[in-house]
Amino acid sequence: MRYVVGYTANARGHDAVHLAVALARNHDVSLDLVLVIPEDSPFNAVYPPEAGYNDILNEQAQRWLDEGLDLVPDDVSARAHIRRGDSEAQTLIDAAVEFDAAALVIGATNSGLLKRFTIGSVASSLLHSSPVPVALAPHGYHRTEPITRLSCGFGTRPGADELLDVAVESARDRGLPLRLVSLLALDGGNSPGLADAAWVHAADRLAAVGSSARVDSPAASADSGYAAGSDAAGSDAADVPEPEIVVAQGRTIEEAVDRLDWEDGEILLIGSSRLAQHRATFLGSTANRILRALPVPMIVVPRDYTRQSA
Amino acid sequence: MSTAPKTVQSKETPGLSEKGLKAGSVGLIGAVVIGVSCIAPAYTLTAALGPTVSEVGVHLPAIFLVGFIPMLLVALGYRELNNAMPDAGTSFTWATRAFGPWIGWMGGWGLIAATIIVLSNLAAVAVDFFYLMLAQIFSNPALGELSKILPLNIATTLVFIALACWISYRGMETTKGVQYVLVAFQLLVLGWFAVSAFAHVANGTAFDATTISPDWFNPFAVDSFSQFAAGVSLSIFIYWGWDVTLTMNEETKNPEKTPGRAATITVLVIVIIYMTVALATLSFAGVGETGLGAGNPENQSSIFAVLAGPVMGPFAILMSLAILSSSAASLQSTFVSPARTMLAMGHYRAISPKFGKISPTYKSPSFATIAAAIAAAAFYVITRTVSENALWDTITALGMMICFYYGITALACVWFFRASAFSGVRPFFFKFLAPLVGGVILLVMFVKTAMDSMDPEYGSGSSVGGVGLVFVLGMGVILLGVVVMLVMYRLRPEFFKGKVLTRA
Repeated sequence: MRYVVGYTANARGHDAVHLAVALARNHDVSLDLVLVIPEDSPFNAVYPPEAGYNDILNEQAQRWLDEGLDLVPDDVSARAHIRRGDSEAQTLIDAAVEFDAAALVIGATNSGLLKRFTIGSVASSLLHSSPVPVALAPHGYHRTEPITRLSCGFGTRPGADELLDVAVESARDRGLPLRLVSLLALDGGNSPGLADAAWVHAADRLAAVGSSARVDSPAASADSGYAAGSDAAGSDAADVPEPEIVVAQGRTIEEAVDRLDWEDGEILLIGSSRLAQHRATFLGSTANRILRALPVPMIVVPRDYTRQSA
Repeated sequence: MSTAPKTVQSKETPGLSEKGLKAGSVGLIGAVVIGVSCIAPAYTLTAALGPTVSEVGVHLPAIFLVGFIPMLLVALGYRELNNAMPDAGTSFTWATRAFGPWIGWMGGWGLIAATIIVLSNLAAVAVDFFYLMLAQIFSNPALGELSKILPLNIATTLVFIALACWISYRGMETTKGVQYVLVAFQLLVLGWFAVSAFAHVANGTAFDATTISPDWFNPFAVDSFSQFAAGVSLSIFIYWGWDVTLTMNEETKNPEKTPGRAATITVLVIVIIYMTVALATLSFAGVGETGLGAGNPENQSSIFAVLAGPVMGPFAILMSLAILSSSAASLQSTFVSPARTMLAMGHYRAISPKFGKISPTYKSPSFATIAAAIAAAAFYVITRTVSENALWDTITALGMMICFYYGITALACVWFFRASAFSGVRPFFFKFLAPLVGGVILLVMFVKTAMDSMDPEYGSGSSVGGVGLVFVLGMGVILLGVVVMLVMYRLRPEFFKGKVLTRA
């Protein structure tokens, strides 16, 4: 399997490489670092006419990619590519399609002053059009050890079951503990009734999706979730603990996200909005708000996405 | 499922054929549009028409025609160099390869200086028309006068320069559609201006109706060689940008024929529009030095700002829009040029390697673009505070600077190809004769204009210490270049010892 990493020679690109390495280490994945350099429009003709700038730019891009490859440890295989295109997002998507990549990995931004995720323009257009899942590294993501837990943002809207499928299969393939996260924004503080309902719904869906998924501990009262074993990385699928269901509440979605505990090695899987076209990502408003408060990386899965098998 | 360690870290080297431009994306009309937009006729006419009339009077059409000859000759050599040694440093690299590091360095400096000067002039013209447009929109002439308040004018110009720098740094692309509309709009408005002016002449409502005479087309009727030289160096400026069509190759749909045809059509379009507008302006306003006269020093900085209202009536706002849009678009794209030359010079260690930095986010020259903006801003502030008519003087200084670096480039072509130029008729003409004649003409114009401009009465009549401001600006910039070059020699001698770029 291959992951395309949208690489730029700055903090944003480094975040992306770190996350890609962390994801690749759980799995038999090779990385393709893609550096996009802009294509000159002849209608933007430079005066006096020259043709050599691109040689200098190419040389620089090669050096940048060498630095990028240096960030990848020896146990992960990686290749580097220079691509030209008007739009960085479109060029990355084209590369991902061409390589038949299982995911696109990018850094969210390099200037998130207040929140971890402030979406840059490239990330934003990817999140609204990519045909493959987009993994977003938060600002300053340094971790390159394998992912330790998979969380799945879970709602009641259409498409939730497909996402759950992807999450259950991914967790099984990767031998990772799975956690279903249901986020409730409640103006009036705690509402045990709603939380219970959300929990029951999640348990139902989970039971319907994965026949192996047995749920035995109700956690409806926990509004900040509870910790799970984190030593599952690299273990066999059979050892994977049962999926865990967590309902988090807060006055806002952001507060609900803050109240949950997140492992350092965790990653959140989230679905696309119903507005997404078939087989494309579209970051909905709730997902967008989750994104802004989230301290860990997240993967946005396209609508009606079927997983590539390893 | 962890994987066995693997270390296949290979890198795909992109083929050298991968140029930055889309191959085969430009047709004949597209190439003409690119050529015309590089010339920016609405902006060049408003900036250069007045100063040229003040030198050569009614012989403006003759000078506009003659000015094209050295431009054509030099552009032919330029094309040969561009084909033989495509390089971001253009004049800098070519002159270095031909004449060694010292002359090459000064060639690069001349190019950078010319583009910096034109940047400050473009921004200033855009600001004038920005306020004029506000006045026209709100029917309040007082708003137009705001551009004459020095601190406000300087502040607005600096804002324009900063904006253009930011856009250029971010690497915003002008699309085909936008470029077509901008060019069509410019040509349409200039045509409208000419037709209205002739209509006023026919109706007897012109300011100073002057009958067109064949004598206007006779370059030998210009009073003195000084005026002729000044006129020609100004008209070099009005064609500056035309040669871009000649150097287009892979990006055209038919590389064999399109560039040549596009260059021919571009020059026909440009000459026709220049002739029509020049004749219309002279017929309507005459060359008198009072009122709306094209010779009035008050009108030199921007002739259309004065004439558009009386000629086009309420539609004068279209002229403001055309000039504002063409100078704003040029302002943004012109930033690329000094930035890339500085980048190349930094890359070859002729100046600090900081200039060779490329922004990782936007993949554009970062340090060099900002340096170009600061230089253009500084040049404008100095000229505006010292000169009585800054736009006029910058345009004259610009003409000199273009003659200087174009002359060097043309002679570099002759010298570089000296071995292969005599192998046939075609190389003899394109690699030797044309650039030699063109280069010599331009350098003669440069020396003559430089000598004449020492006169404190030259140009707008501003002077510093009894020496004409144009001379101070033009030669000052070149001398500054010599000083910087000597400093660079001390700091990083490897370039000057020919260790980076070798002579061919």
